[in-house]
Amino acid sequence: MSAGAGAVVAARGLMKAYAANGVPVRAVDGVDLVVEAGETVSVMGPSGCGKSTLLHLLGGLERPEAGEIVLDGRRVDGLSETAWAVLRRRTIGFVFQAFNLVDELTAVENVELPALLIGAPSRRARRRALELMERLGVADRAGHLPDRLSGGERQRVAVARALINDARLILADEPTGNLDSRATGEILRLFADLGRSGQSLLMVSHDARVASTADRLLTMRDGAIVGHTRLDAGSSSALFADMAGLAHKGGHGPRGGEH
Amino acid sequence: MRSARLATHLAWRNIRRRPAQAALILLTLTMATGMFGVGIALYGSADGAWDRVWKATDGFHVSASYYRGGEVPRTGTGLTGVRRRFTELAAAPGVRAVGGPWLLLHGRLDVGAGTSDARSGTSDARSGGGYENLTAEVRHPGRSPVDQPLVTAGSWLTATSGGIVLEQGLASSLHAGPGDHVRIDGRGFTVRGVAMTVSQGRFPLTLPALVWVTPATANRMRQAGLTEEGLEMQLRLGNPDNAAAFAAAHRNIETSTPTSTLSLETWRQRRAASHSDIDELAGTVLAAGVVVGLLAVATAALIVADRMAAQTRQIGTLKAIGVTPRQIVLALLAEHLALAGLATLIALGAGRLIAPQLARTSLTVLGDPETPGLSAGRVAVVAGVAIVVVALSTVRPALRGLRHTTIGALATQARPPRRPARLARLAASAHVPLAAVLGLRSAWRRPSRLFTNAVGLTLAVAMIVVAAGLRASLSHLTAQPTGPGEALSGNAVGALYDQVRIIVLATAALLLVLGTVNAFIAASFAARDAARNHAMLRAVGATPRQTVVSLVVSQFGACVLAVAAGIPLGLGLWQLIDEGDLPPVSVPDSALALVAVAVPLVFTAAVSLPASRLARRPAAAALAYE
Amino acid sequence: MRDPILALLAKSPAHGYEVRQRLVEALGPPGQALNPGQVYVTLSRLERAGLVRVGQVSQQRHPDKKMYELTAAGSERVAEWLADVSWSKVTPTDFHLKLVAAAATGLADPVALVDAQRHELLRQLSEVQALTLAEPADSAGGLLLEGAALRLAADVRWLELCEQRWLERLAQSDRAGGAGRSDRNEER
Repeated sequence: MSAGAGAVVAARGLMKAYAANGVPVRAVDGVDLVVEAGETVSVMGPSGCGKSTLLHLLGGLERPEAGEIVLDGRRVDGLSETAWAVLRRRTIGFVFQAFNLVDELTAVENVELPALLIGAPSRRARRRALELMERLGVADRAGHLPDRLSGGERQRVAVARALINDARLILADEPTGNLDSRATGEILRLFADLGRSGQSLLMVSHDARVASTADRLLTMRDGAIVGHTRLDAGSSSALFADMAGLAHKGGHGPRGGEH
Repeated sequence: MRSARLATHLAWRNIRRRPAQAALILLTLTMATGMFGVGIALYGSADGAWDRVWKATDGFHVSASYYRGGEVPRTGTGLTGVRRRFTELAAAPGVRAVGGPWLLLHGRLDVGAGTSDARSGTSDARSGGGYENLTAEVRHPGRSPVDQPLVTAGSWLTATSGGIVLEQGLASSLHAGPGDHVRIDGRGFTVRGVAMTVSQGRFPLTLPALVWVTPATANRMRQAGLTEEGLEMQLRLGNPDNAAAFAAAHRNIETSTPTSTLSLETWRQRRAASHSDIDELAGTVLAAGVVVGLLAVATAALIVADRMAAQTRQIGTLKAIGVTPRQIVLALLAEHLALAGLATLIALGAGRLIAPQLARTSLTVLGDPETPGLSAGRVAVVAGVAIVVVALSTVRPALRGLRHTTIGALATQARPPRRPARLARLAASAHVPLAAVLGLRSAWRRPSRLFTNAVGLTLAVAMIVVAAGLRASLSHLTAQPTGPGEALSGNAVGALYDQVRIIVLATAALLLVLGTVNAFIAASFAARDAARNHAMLRAVGATPRQTVVSLVVSQFGACVLAVAAGIPLGLGLWQLIDEGDLPPVSVPDSALALVAVAVPLVFTAAVSLPASRLARRPAAAALAYE
Repeated sequence: MRDPILALLAKSPAHGYEVRQRLVEALGPPGQALNPGQVYVTLSRLERAGLVRVGQVSQQRHPDKKMYELTAAGSERVAEWLADVSWSKVTPTDFHLKLVAAAATGLADPVALVDAQRHELLRQLSEVQALTLAEPADSAGGLLLEGAALRLAADVRWLELCEQRWLERLAQSDRAGGAGRSDRNEER
């Protein structure tokens, strides 16, 4: 798979194995992957298929045993921990399934942390953090510590944190796991805006409703990518017609029944 | 009964699963109990030897001694009144045997280039040509009914042969034996023999040096210039236990003037005073044992608290297999009491083995030190120490464990962070590095762990300060020239305190090591608890070094406390230590400055280790922590 | 029921009784409740529609001597049916029979069929989601869309299960019978 000039991340031949009770298990087995700038890609698959590991590898939280990763035009799979950390500040935003927030910092401090790490003045960092939290509907919880927030609030704070530095690539692992449909909608709308600003999103989700909002959907099984779907927006007329068919019972439905 | 079996099973399982922690607790426990064991064994080891000699020499029950100083005539006119009083005393009811009264002559023993044997003890340039004060006790030939010294080399005085018999301690210091010549007040005398006595303590810790002479030799000595300085008489009663009563009944005989004293002493008093250096040594070892014991409490408390926290979190699973919190606590106690028992056994063994070796270095023990056998009291004390350590370190976490319900168990043990500390906010506005601010935030998560850690370090710092004071004092002492008349014995005190100093320094070093280990353990636990947070920090771009800095800063409070409290504590302890022989020297400022710099450095190194280890691994590994 | 029966005849001609038997095997216990008569009725309808014809009469003693086989139009119809990914009127039973038929006749790979269906549903779902995100929250339209999305997502999930099950099944029969056999009809 050749990467276009605008690729944010390109991985080739990624492999990562664990030893589970002495038996080597390949969590990621020969994965090739490209995410273009402004693109949203989602990854689906049964649990244990390696989706989370793939995310970790692309973000440098784990080291691949084989393969190469090119991030923003730069070869990164051999970087030191420190170099990765510095790279992550501006380039990558993480949203995890759990273990999201540093529990000693308040919500807003958690959100502004990446901005402080790149050296932004504290006032600007605080302002931007509150903006994002406002957008996600958690600004009123800004001064609270994470243990006082509900699961959904924590998740939204984590999303705000991932977005604060306008990262080129957002890596999200079940970002809507704890959220009700309204909050989910907010997050998905926010993610939809990412494409417009040239930011990319690679998202793991078991929920087809969330995964299908992406431009492309990858299916993983046993550590490998086994399916690839382009989710281009087709015409919605057929869909509406189907739904409308329910209302016009007895009238001529647009599709004749097969039975 | 089932409870006991289950507790035992759990205890054994815990020891097997975390052998390093069990070993560490056993080690610190054993060090504490070991020191107690040795100290206690030491206390009794001199008495056996003393008793042996006492029996063999028909030792006294009550002694009467008369000494006078200043310018005195050479002949015995001034002593007539004293002799009369002695005679009256000897005729008192209850007295079964009388030794003496013996005349005491005062002279000067040539030390250094003058003595005939090149193997002289102290041939310092300082004391070249120096002398040691000497007492010659004039004995009539024949066996004395009381205090017939026990000959260890050569032979006793006879009417015809002349020569002198050296007290064994003196002979040892001079490296002199039968046939050697010594010079007293310029005259040469031949050594006929060497003997031990219990009538006075052994040279050089009891002064002046003692020799025995015949009346003929005494005449020669008078001609050489020795003066009569006193009388000594020793009594044996029907029952040695009456000695105190007898002495009390005859207190009126005692006198004390600026130039002379007459005093009574019982055999028990003498025995107790005869081994001051062993007592000192034993006391030092015991004191060190107390301090190490406290440190053992701190270390064990750290480990136990962490274990209880971990097990309380799993309480749900454990309940499912039928284990109650009470049983967990019982298992904890069982495990630690087993370790305590083992430590006690080792300690008692160490006492039997080590105490004699230490006692042999003593300057006051007569002959071979005998280690007293195991008495119930001794076992009880050593075991008691171990149990106290276990109790102090396990009580609080165990009580907390008992009180937990399942819901409580689900919560973490850490104090939940309240509103962000103002200090941290100040630091943030003062442009303190981000990593340090993060560290300050997490500093107060586990106050009990912080304090336990601080206790260990504080003790170490205090002991180091004390050791610094001792060192300064000793170097001051050894820099002072020995007084006239103490050419030989002057260094003996220094030698004794060398011993004490070595023990104190060793204990200080030991405490520093243990304190560092404590800091390391506390930091390991803290690193483990912070692993998740640190992984998150790294995921958003904090470098591994920043996470290490934050951990070190969060632990540093313990170090600050330790230095801030340990130095004053050490200075205070130093004031309290009343060493009469040691010059009152204050702890030098350079030592304090060194402590204030070195301890934080060592601490930082110890704390950085576990943090660095964690920080070097890829972040996702830490995310897997539960 | 017409398409599945057609497909079952695609492998080889069969008596009506056999067809029913294959159906029952495919459906399991629910198949036992199938009315035997319904099969014959459907077969006659198919014959009338020109998709099936009656073949030679067999020489056996069995009272039913009719042998049914597909016509060209019938084969075409089966192929169409296998390729069709519309979903709005398909029940799980229908789809399951499609997979069984595909496996039994070797005309299509059941796993590929599931995959294709899933991709189609995901495309539909993505359209629904695009519309949902454009809708203001709490609108009536939004409620309908959410319902559609939920059902599509549930179906996607079911399809994933189907894929997993069929992969296992095929792996088992691969191990049992060796590779390369087109007739993988050894169902237990």
